[in-house]
Amino acid sequence: MKLPYVEYEAPTSVAEAVGLLAEHEDEASVLAGGQSLIPLMALRLARPAVLIDINGLSELSLVKVTDGRVTIGAMTREYVAEDSATVGDTVPLLAAALPLIGHEAIRSRGTIGGSLAHADPAAELPAVAVALDAEFVVRSLSGDRVVPASEWFQGYLATSRRPDEMLVEVRFPAARPGTGVAFEEVARRHGDFAIVGLAVSLTLTEGVITDARLAFAGIGDVPVRAADAEGLLVGERPSAELFDEAARQAVAGIDPPADLNGSSEYRKKIAATLVRRGLQRAADNAHGRQ
Amino acid sequence: MAQIAAERYTGASIKRSEDPRILTGRGRYVDDLKLPGMLHAAFVRSPLAHGRVLSVDASAARELPGVVLVLTGADLETMTIRGQDPLFAMMGAGGPMPDYSLLATDTVRFVGDPVAIVVAESRYLAEDGCDLIEVDYEDLPPVVSAATALDPGSPPLFANLGDNIIGPHKRDEFGDVAGTFAAADVVADFHIDVHRHQNVPMEGRGCVASFDPDSGFMTVYAATQSVHVTKMAVASRLGIEPDKVRVLAGDIGGSFGLKIGASREELAAAAASRALGRPVKWTEDRSENLAASGQAREESFDVRAAVSKDGDLLGLDVQMVLDNGAYPVMGTMVPSIMEMMLPGPYKLAALGFESTAVATNKASYIAYRGPWASETFVRERVIDLLAAELGLDPLEIRLRNIAPRTDPPHMMVTGRPLVGVTSAESLERVAELVDVPAFRRRQASERAKGRYLGIGMATFIEGAPGPRSPEGSSGLMGMEHMRLTLASDGVVTLFTGQMPHGQSHQTTLAQIAADEFGVPFGQVRVVVGDTDVVPFGLTGGSRSATMTGGVALHGARQLRGKVLDFASALFEASAQDLEIADGDVFVRGDPDSAMPVAEVARQAASGEFSVDADTAFEVEAAYDGGEGGWSGGSHCAIVEVDAETGIVTVERYVAAEDCGALINPAVVEGQIRGGIAQGIGAVLLERSAYDADGNYQSATFMDYLLPTACDVPRIEISHLETVPLDADVNFRGVGEGGMIVAPPTVVNAIEDALAPFGVRIYEQHLPPARILELIAEADAG
Amino acid sequence: MADITVSVNGAARTGSVEPRKTLADFLRDDLDLTGTHVGCEHGVCGACTVIVDGRPVRSCLMLAVQAAGSEVTTIEGLAPDGALGTLQQAMWDSHSFQCGFCTPGFVMQATAYLGEHPDAGEQEIREALSGNICRCTGYQSIIDGVLLAAQRSREA
Repeated sequence: MKLPYVEYEAPTSVAEAVGLLAEHEDEASVLAGGQSLIPLMALRLARPAVLIDINGLSELSLVKVTDGRVTIGAMTREYVAEDSATVGDTVPLLAAALPLIGHEAIRSRGTIGGSLAHADPAAELPAVAVALDAEFVVRSLSGDRVVPASEWFQGYLATSRRPDEMLVEVRFPAARPGTGVAFEEVARRHGDFAIVGLAVSLTLTEGVITDARLAFAGIGDVPVRAADAEGLLVGERPSAELFDEAARQAVAGIDPPADLNGSSEYRKKIAATLVRRGLQRAADNAHGRQ
Repeated sequence: MAQIAAERYTGASIKRSEDPRILTGRGRYVDDLKLPGMLHAAFVRSPLAHGRVLSVDASAARELPGVVLVLTGADLETMTIRGQDPLFAMMGAGGPMPDYSLLATDTVRFVGDPVAIVVAESRYLAEDGCDLIEVDYEDLPPVVSAATALDPGSPPLFANLGDNIIGPHKRDEFGDVAGTFAAADVVADFHIDVHRHQNVPMEGRGCVASFDPDSGFMTVYAATQSVHVTKMAVASRLGIEPDKVRVLAGDIGGSFGLKIGASREELAAAAASRALGRPVKWTEDRSENLAASGQAREESFDVRAAVSKDGDLLGLDVQMVLDNGAYPVMGTMVPSIMEMMLPGPYKLAALGFESTAVATNKASYIAYRGPWASETFVRERVIDLLAAELGLDPLEIRLRNIAPRTDPPHMMVTGRPLVGVTSAESLERVAELVDVPAFRRRQASERAKGRYLGIGMATFIEGAPGPRSPEGSSGLMGMEHMRLTLASDGVVTLFTGQMPHGQSHQTTLAQIAADEFGVPFGQVRVVVGDTDVVPFGLTGGSRSATMTGGVALHGARQLRGKVLDFASALFEASAQDLEIADGDVFVRGDPDSAMPVAEVARQAASGEFSVDADTAFEVEAAYDGGEGGWSGGSHCAIVEVDAETGIVTVERYVAAEDCGALINPAVVEGQIRGGIAQGIGAVLLERSAYDADGNYQSATFMDYLLPTACDVPRIEISHLETVPLDADVNFRGVGEGGMIVAPPTVVNAIEDALAPFGVRIYEQHLPPARILELIAEADAG
Repeated sequence: MADITVSVNGAARTGSVEPRKTLADFLRDDLDLTGTHVGCEHGVCGACTVIVDGRPVRSCLMLAVQAAGSEVTTIEGLAPDGALGTLQQAMWDSHSFQCGFCTPGFVMQATAYLGEHPDAGEQEIREALSGNICRCTGYQSIIDGVLLAAQRSREA
């Protein structure tokens, strides 16, 4: 399981990196944390002609808050985001999901941008991005383009990034007061990919749900927003009956894949359980934050 | 009269002499080895489960800079002698002998079957070379299930056999089977499946083969459970005189039965080394290890049980089918061991047993820690199932049926004496430690809140090495040998054919010898891993505690006798009045007479003293196991099942074990816990999965899931007072027990947790999705 | 081929490597630091864990060229003069290991973790080590070694 031959570039500026992508397009892979790409190459399932190593681009490592939006640079390491008080305060759903990503050594190298550009539908961060309507900023030689999360994830390991574009930052809305979050998942072991995962955010205003976000990981080729369930929740007061109804609604239309970890039926069942548990936990946390 | 050694080390958790190097990164594993001129091998492997090889085109690979040699299966046939897997050849099973080549020539028989070897300047380049080899295959219909293999119309995997029945199909009966079943109150039928899973040591297989063209000597640096068995395999398959083969082994990163003899790949690497006159290293990567090194335990059982309405277990009639994979290694030997062990420690009066092994297009069924373990799974599962059917407590049924410890001992219906077995005591001990009534109260109150806790128990015995048999020595593999020397620096050296791969022999054997001979622990050295200096031996079958511990004890005693015979001249005292303790020889009662052992040895070696005594302080000891004995124990698990997600948590695990006298309690407990972890893994996480076309689906650690520190709880271990059988050697083996009895323990607990749903479990692998299915099926049924 | 200089266990080490060569292979093959073991090459088993710039990292998932200019600590760097460190001594005393193949990864991961969380309790330690696989021990003896090391460090 040794990596196949590959050419290697280590640009020292974003402009240089983007220039290399313009030159090589689909023949190149961007190497960020490497925690997903290097295993694929070791298994010789991925064989890019060129690796563009962007670990030298320190300008892509940042967390900043402006006008109710939190901008996280694509090369921000997962452990940095995990330890960041800013992230904890302003994007609590991201903070809830980060400790579930693999193990500490993975998060030492893995990056926010890398995970979102890799777009594994069973991973935690894509579900968070979809739940929060994050914005993806990609750069090419022609400039920057902003892609909403609803359009970013196109399929299994596929995004709407064009071959000459590089993800440079992701923007999340800052959580409003009264927001409680949860990231629930069923995984075979601590640190594994979710069989099914769920990103939940609830905002309560005077005890009434004024905002509800639910996005699944692991039930399709891309993260899946449970929009109908969200609609059911807004305007209501939290209750077990409401959450049961939301769970039914959330899984009504889904058609999860089957694999070694479970059948489609199994995923549907646990998806419903995660909705109930996630909503309860988020509601409890929201009360804490009011 | 033999002196009884003061036991200072034996029985104590002496710190391991292996650890300073292990903890500082100075262990020497086979992949650490670098030899001048060494090359690296990689293999082209079949992507198909079953196919004809139409052509192999290695021309592009041969031209790749850095690739030095490519050998196809056909090439290797001219360079090696056809034969069987070394373990298969060593143990012999009877039954049809399939004929096949070292690497695949005209037929590939499982995904991962090696087709060609590429030797290059680096492993990277060797894999690049493999990518350039074009193999043209013709698909053949794969045989992926035992059911298909049993069909006489299924395409035969081996041209020289008419069908895929590969093990001797035979039926044995013990006791009056027909009569027992006819008279029983209740006869119940069960079908039980055990799933395929595998050893997965952290270090895979590998070797560095180094052929010296000038001398014609082949040196193999191996990761193996026996350097001598590896030597025999290399010598016989490469056609080299055994005297010209030397096998060396350093540290080995686990094995659990995987690394015995020499695999086809290792033999190919050795042949390549001989062709090149240069060392060739092959160490398998994890994909190879998971897909190709071999798997175990895929068996199915039809069990008929005869019981009385009060829970007397009267008879069992079992038909088993074993899925042997493609190339035979160990699978065909397992049913006969299972047959012998099935009665366990119970009074079972009748047993019928019938077995069939079939060839399928999967990796070979190999030895995996307690290869016969499914007999315990089946028996302990059936007891719980019968308990549920009869409305009785499973612990009560067990205690009711355990054979009492009598003199002469109760005979298992399959012929072995249940001498020194403490199963009743171990069951009672775990029950007491767990406080079953208190658990039942907690279980009831938690059920009312919608939480499902369960408790399960199981008991087992293991022939480690087993009681003395009428034929002579105890244990499966005969006499154990050891050479012991005392050098003029005062160091006692033990040369053993044991090949530790985690068992801590360099510590435990030194403890025994130090006590018996009379020197400090640090003054004993244990030498392993060189066929030029160690006697024949093999680490396996949980034999070493008794066999090697015993030969170390008796050998040290003999060595001590020789030294004292010589010393009697030095001290001008009778040997009976001399002692050796703390590294000094002295006249008993006269501490001022003390002379260091080293000085005695120096004087003997110097020849200054001409005495009528042997001054070459060397002993070649052999030990037949003495009275031998059974190991065994009872385990208990408390689990919680999340009935909404199917996730199972092992909340508590308690083991009461009897492995006789403990040499080193920490080592014993480590072995037990490691085995239990593998058992928990088997039930909750591990499966070697093939799809309907024979594609292997568990070839990475993302798919083959091993238990982690969050999956294995603290395991409480209670050691029972042994029943000593032998005057000196009452250490019994403990390596395999945990893995044998943990699966039924955990499955019994899960079934108990799901009792409110009416779930009955007839299988060993229970991932979350399966748990929910069982609940749904029980609801529906 | 790329010429690189990496600080390994406090010493500047140079090498000439293909960019595709992993840090694990560079350490083992080029620098003869075979204490770091390779167990899976896809980042799951943790046997290859080293410390890079203060963080535990799977060296099979880093390219050697990426380590240029970084400080890498391997197991050989923990007890350079032969005397065992607190963690290693505690693990010896606790019979933490059997075959030893997983050991370097556990020692490095635990070293990094205890450095940041000196007062960690058992459950936190189990989670922190859940990315390292051991096939021999069932983990309890390893956890005990780490807990003992933490306790001894507090008492020192």
